[in-house]
Amino acid sequence: MKASHLTLKIFLLIVLNDIGDTVAQLLMKKGLNTIGITNVGLNNLAEFVQAGASSPLVWLGLSVLILNFFLWMVVLYRVDLSIAMPVGSTCYIFVPAAAVLFLHEHVSLIRWAGVGLIIAGIHFVSRSKKETGRPSP
Amino acid sequence: MIKVILIVIVAEIWTAAGHVLFKKGTNSLEVHSLRGASGMMRFVKNVLAHPSIWLGLAAMAIGMVVWLLALVHADLSIVFSLGSMQYILVLFLAHFFLGEKIDAMKFIGTFLVMLGIILITIS
Repeated sequence: MKASHLTLKIFLLIVLNDIGDTVAQLLMKKGLNTIGITNVGLNNLAEFVQAGASSPLVWLGLSVLILNFFLWMVVLYRVDLSIAMPVGSTCYIFVPAAAVLFLHEHVSLIRWAGVGLIIAGIHFVSRSKKETGRPSP
Repeated sequence: MIKVILIVIVAEIWTAAGHVLFKKGTNSLEVHSLRGASGMMRFVKNVLAHPSIWLGLAAMAIGMVVWLLALVHADLSIVFSLGSMQYILVLFLAHFFLGEKIDAMKFIGTFLVMLGIILITIS
């Protein structure tokens, strides 16, 4: 089923994609934190790559990224790029919300204002019902 | 500062081109069903067989390298808030290269998302 406007199913796929992205970043960050190299330059780049490649967490993060790539392809297959792109900014909403809920971090007022603008923006985009005819391949 | 802006713009153009190429690729995919393991495998095979998608990956890789160059020259928060131009850029490219219809709702929405990201990244 193809649709050029946003449906709940496509919205949830995009959210899943954002969550996957965030999880992958966290996994790789956690993996790279444990390899004991803090400064990366041209002189130790090979050593850094080798150490990174020995971390299972880095590989796990990369696998999530690859799965996520195909998920994004499914999203693009089903909906206009001009809809998928802005809606794909939901990670900017979930990360601060998760930081408050689970990590009890303080999130500044300006940041909440930004979150509000993004929610409003996604709402507007989701209201767009303009049909895009698909060119036949 | 002007140097950073220019580098970010170049990075944005490559990345945006990647997004458009991905979409060009998926637009011409011939997929009958995404259901079940075999449907999924066929989808993955079709995606990997598509030149536009490989070109898109290459464009994104170049964009990422240029992006890292910008990070060498300026703070993460500045580079990231400049990076939110990406959203408007993709909107225009999607219109001109993919023929997607842009109405006021999409434009206002995308603009708000961009402003929101700027607020989050500078705070």
